[in-house]
Amino acid sequence: MTMPNPASVSGLPNGPALAACLAAGIGAFAMGFVIILNEIGLFSAPTLYAPAGGVSGRTTLAVVAWLIAWGVLHAKWKNRAIVPRRVMTWTFVLIALGVLLSFPPVWGLFG
Amino acid sequence: MDVELFSGRSILTMVHGIVLGGGALVGIAVALFGMVALRPADGAEPSAGPQARNLAWLLIATAVVLWLTVIAGTYVSFPPYRATPPEGLTDLSDFPRSLIQSNPDTRWLHSFAMEIKEHMPWIAAMLVTAAAFITARYRTQLFGDASLRRAAAVLLAISLALVAGVSLLGVFINKVAPLD
Repeated sequence: MTMPNPASVSGLPNGPALAACLAAGIGAFAMGFVIILNEIGLFSAPTLYAPAGGVSGRTTLAVVAWLIAWGVLHAKWKNRAIVPRRVMTWTFVLIALGVLLSFPPVWGLFG
Repeated sequence: MDVELFSGRSILTMVHGIVLGGGALVGIAVALFGMVALRPADGAEPSAGPQARNLAWLLIATAVVLWLTVIAGTYVSFPPYRATPPEGLTDLSDFPRSLIQSNPDTRWLHSFAMEIKEHMPWIAAMLVTAAAFITARYRTQLFGDASLRRAAAVLLAISLALVAGVSLLGVFINKVAPLD
């Protein structure tokens, strides 16, 4: 998936761009995953701001997962040129899953 | 006689939905249009000049406005929406969630519309931030690199669909149970 020699690519290596995309996909999936765990009663994110309720904890967890994923991927790929197709495919799969799991009619399928 | 045209709560709702949410929606749509319209024709030299720089600044501003929208929605507008009315209260007009749930015909506005509004915009904010990062960091090569441009454009297109859908649901909720 990765090519270690960015000098072969004109301009900046595309690794940081793809790290941002994949991290956004991971953040989207994290949002859906936290919601579905909450809906089936396996895990409830702690409420961070009582007037807003559980959504404050769920959204914060997803944002933290997104930022950690972005930081790790950026550090790993910052000087790399990467074939985009596979990374973008995973990105869109993760976004689709995140959106799907955030969609209330889907929650009923999990019990 | 003093007539209060807008209450403090309704002004905050308008800032959240119209000023910030509307601004983000317009910003995403314009950026997506720019991304498509500014791509070089076959064989033409790609632009790395002011258009790319302006697009980058537009997307950075849009990402900031979208984050402000979701944070204001969650921490400013949502708490009064979900407030629990005192026991025995019959006029629920100050308690939108309870008002919506008291009528079987409008119950879906909470169980479907508001549940979507609670979470989906956060996904859109992450996607727009990624698109803004790509556009800003790669502004000198964005229009010459089809894969980068396509990645940013698709993230923006998904975000546009999410934000537009969520905005529409917000209009429905505010129509039935406004935060006055």
